[in-house]
Amino acid sequence: MVQIHNASFRYSGGEGLELVNFNVDPGEFIFLTGDSGAGKSTILKLIYMDIFPQTGHVIVNNYNSLNIKKREIPFLRRKLGIVFQDFKLLHDRDVFANVAFALEVTGTRKRDIKRKVLRVLAEVGLNHKRNKMPRQLSGGEQQRVVIARALVNEPFILLADEPTGNLDPTATAEVMGLLERINVRGTAVLMATHNIQLIQSQNRRIVTIEKGIVK
Amino acid sequence: MFYSIREGFAGLIRAKVASTITITVISLSLVLVGFFLIFIFNATRLVDTIQNRIELEVFIDNSFTPEQTEVLRNSINYMAGVLQVTYVSKEQAMEIYKKFFNEDDFEILDENPLPASFQIKLIKEYRNSKMANQIIQQIAQLDGVDDIEFRNDILVTIEKYMDYLMIGILTAGNLLLIGAVALVSNTIKLVILSRIRIIETMRLVGATKGFIRRPFIFEGIFQGVFGAILSILFFYITVKIIDVEIPGIIVVNSYIYLMLFGLGLFLGAIGSILAMQRFLKF
Ligand SMILES: Nc1ncnc2c1ncn2[C@@H]1O[C@H](COP(=O)(O)OP(=O)(O)OP(=O)(O)O)[C@@H](O)[C@H]1O
Ligand SMILES: [Mg+2]
Repeated sequence: MVQIHNASFRYSGGEGLELVNFNVDPGEFIFLTGDSGAGKSTILKLIYMDIFPQTGHVIVNNYNSLNIKKREIPFLRRKLGIVFQDFKLLHDRDVFANVAFALEVTGTRKRDIKRKVLRVLAEVGLNHKRNKMPRQLSGGEQQRVVIARALVNEPFILLADEPTGNLDPTATAEVMGLLERINVRGTAVLMATHNIQLIQSQNRRIVTIEKGIVK
Repeated sequence: MFYSIREGFAGLIRAKVASTITITVISLSLVLVGFFLIFIFNATRLVDTIQNRIELEVFIDNSFTPEQTEVLRNSINYMAGVLQVTYVSKEQAMEIYKKFFNEDDFEILDENPLPASFQIKLIKEYRNSKMANQIIQQIAQLDGVDDIEFRNDILVTIEKYMDYLMIGILTAGNLLLIGAVALVSNTIKLVILSRIRIIETMRLVGATKGFIRRPFIFEGIFQGVFGAILSILFFYITVKIIDVEIPGIIVVNSYIYLMLFGLGLFLGAIGSILAMQRFLKF
């Protein structure tokens, strides 16, 4: 499903990843952890093919980093759900429109958009706030909107980069609970975080990365 | 609620300001290009008028009979490059002379001293000094030709500088166009920069390049067309005003307006495509 084989990647500054190997199996829940600057975000970028490894390769579904075409990348991303620490919501439109956006840009029919958005908003518990603007929501609620947007295309894996980084403990617990539920339903979750306490409380597979090397 | 309405309104104004700037830049570029086009158009028109006036004057031997003259006329008429041969008799030459100088110098003479002549018009391809001289040499060899007049000093001057002028004009025109494209695309780039977030989001949720680009290109085209209309209006009014003051000094045909319109469209589209390029590396 996701396989990273001997992947190395160096930014122009010389920092990066060294011979990374690891797989994500269907339905798995993995914490990716390590100090700031260790290379967690870089691994996620390799998976959503924002960058390509200079040695080795990355396989996501039936796409291989060695031979994927540029025009195929959008179609790969439709099968991934991507969540960031900074929410990246569009502030010029309400919650419903923010989630619907992910379907509109992939050419879904209007009728289906409404149905799918309402269902996914119910899943993250925000149906009653669908007409609010993002700025009118708390941080935790905004992050749940982002998760709803990531889920609406029914991805097989959710890539979450510090999704709780900006949240207080209550909101963090809410978001973690949501990710659990999503995972139970069969979606794999790969979550990057340096919050050690958070991951110790969960009984999950942990991949630790130190200075670009997976331990 | 009040805050978000205000914020939304601010966003609207922001986009409007950016659009206004883009349209202004496009129409200013087009005004520059338009001056250039109008200059070239009127300059070529002038050169054409001069070239169209090119004529040879062949003076006929005084002793020639009408029959011999007719033979000469036919020989000239059948030469390659000759469009039209007009006979000017001695009497007609005198008439023209009198009209021109408005006096009667020759009254004391018994005989009309002015020779009869042929006025020869050349076809377009022969209206340059090289080809004209070729014909002159041919005519000079014919019987009964006394002298051939060909006033070609203006022609030679034009020909001498025409090539340089053409190279200069083409270079300047291309530089102008490249400058306009760079200016417009950089202006649009600034506008797009303010929407980098929406572009980023589109990329992450799997929008294709075309999907992301299309609205921006349309926006560019609309702005280009709007800018073109403004510049066309500017020239239309300016030429009208000048024409009232000095009629006929400048001519602007509708092709120039059409070209400005096309260029505006092109500038808007190319400008936004180039501006997008940087943000669409997947
Ligand atoms: N675009 C870039 N250009 C150059 N160097 C970069 C770039 N992005 C990241 N780096 C460097 O690569 C290394 C790994 O970065 P990465 O973002 O993957 O770390 P991280 O583990 O996600 O850190 P954090 O926990 O702070 O998010 C860092 O040293 C960083 O400075
Ligand atoms: Mg990171």
